[in-house]
Amino acid sequence: MDSLRIEATSCSPLIDFDPAAGLLRIEGESYPENSFDFYAPVFNWLEDYLKAPAPAVVLDIGLSYLNTSSIKCMIDVLEMLDGAHQKGQTVSVRWHYDSDNDRALDMAEEFAEDVSLPFEILAH
Amino acid sequence: MKGNELFNLQELLSRQKLLICFSGPFSHSVIEELGKAVRNHLENERIEKSAIMDVFSVYVEQAQNVRNYTASREALGRPIPANSGIVVIGKEDDHYVVSSGNLVEADDVPGLSAMLEKLRGLDKAGLKAVYKEQSRKPREAGASGAGLGLIDMARKATRPLEYSLRAVDDTYFFFSLEVQL
Repeated sequence: MDSLRIEATSCSPLIDFDPAAGLLRIEGESYPENSFDFYAPVFNWLEDYLKAPAPAVVLDIGLSYLNTSSIKCMIDVLEMLDGAHQKGQTVSVRWHYDSDNDRALDMAEEFAEDVSLPFEILAH
Repeated sequence: MKGNELFNLQELLSRQKLLICFSGPFSHSVIEELGKAVRNHLENERIEKSAIMDVFSVYVEQAQNVRNYTASREALGRPIPANSGIVVIGKEDDHYVVSSGNLVEADDVPGLSAMLEKLRGLDKAGLKAVYKEQSRKPREAGASGAGLGLIDMARKATRPLEYSLRAVDDTYFFFSLEVQL
């Protein structure tokens, strides 16, 4: 399976998914012109990947701001990973946030409420 | 624009203690550039990062709502009169107010006002419940948003959302929305 890499822009995050290492990074800010178009390749890649993922998969997120349509996309990404977790695969989330940005922490906590997979929230 | 009209317009704007006012075609690049300018300005004011992000995110939701609504009507072959959208960020005493205005089709008025009245009647816990419910709904095919924008603004606001809907002609109403932070 090929890796997936989409470079960051000022309004869309870096996507860097390494299938062999099981490390999926999303980093930056997310309020693209059309969130669903932007995240479509992410959904497609994950759907394929989760059929035969690495022994341990970590979604490493450093998103300081998401607009509401990106939030919806992230909920969908987390649900896909949560589904894999519920099927017995080893999947976890590490959510990084800037300690002076309370809103980023609130957001991370709300995402964590809706999933059952291990979800670590780390201040920097 | 004639000099005295420009003077009157500028006077009206400065009385409102505006940070920014934009009226014209809402392209993504305009939304992005104005957003950056607002953030830079607020960072120089040395206000808390969370307050900056609240102003910025309400601005983005409003501007993208105006833009997405305009684009959706265009896609239906019913383009809205050009450049009828406006977004304004101002300061009242020590807090920020983010407002937007745009033309909406008369048929959309009942649904829009019902939604806003519902949100106005909810407390923080109620708004969170509505937000969670909406965020779990499957995306509508072809929709450009997730239907979360107004709920998110209501959650960030310190007071109930203020809005007005005024008939412009048989086809359109002018919808205004004011979010106090």
